[in-house]
Amino acid sequence: MREAIVIALAVIGLAFTLSGAVGILRMPDVYSRIQCSSKTVTMGALPMLIALVVAEGPVSSYGSRALLVAVLLLILNPAASHALARAAYKSGVPMWRGAVTDEPREGDGRADDGAAP
Amino acid sequence: MAPVFLAVAITELAITVLLFIRLAAGPTISDRIVALNTMSTQAALAVLFFAAFAGRTIYLDVSLWLASFSYLGAIVWSRYLERGLL
Repeated sequence: MREAIVIALAVIGLAFTLSGAVGILRMPDVYSRIQCSSKTVTMGALPMLIALVVAEGPVSSYGSRALLVAVLLLILNPAASHALARAAYKSGVPMWRGAVTDEPREGDGRADDGAAP
Repeated sequence: MAPVFLAVAITELAITVLLFIRLAAGPTISDRIVALNTMSTQAALAVLFFAAFAGRTIYLDVSLWLASFSYLGAIVWSRYLERGLL
């Protein structure tokens, strides 16, 4: 029973990690890729860490380290993604040509028709 | 449950190969940093699961170090992109 739960959580995490990696490979611009990498951590890494906690127990050395890594990823990954997106925007990385809005340039988030940057 | 852990670690490393393509072919520096950041997370998880497979607690510190300090690298890179060298 416990092994079935572990395998199910690990398969969920690996599937989301694979989809995130394919997204990083296939998405058209930097901002979409940053979104895919965030999904890789949130839905891919956390179920796998929970699988390790379920398998080893939360007070064992492996389970406690897995919980610590999960907390670190939850705190640090949004900060790093935000810093990367901000740096990419400020250093002038162009958006995809089909992007429909550019909120920091336009003020309120409503783009006119054909106002792609 | 050791074979499950080994399978998870090897699959993580196989997924990382996809990110190597983006790391080599990314048009801008930001693409490469995104790929490298994701790869370091995958490496931390792979090391953690390999430690659970091999039963060696000393590898756990490697995983913790990778998970915490790779983001420091991403933040330093983004600061460089934003403001230049200091």
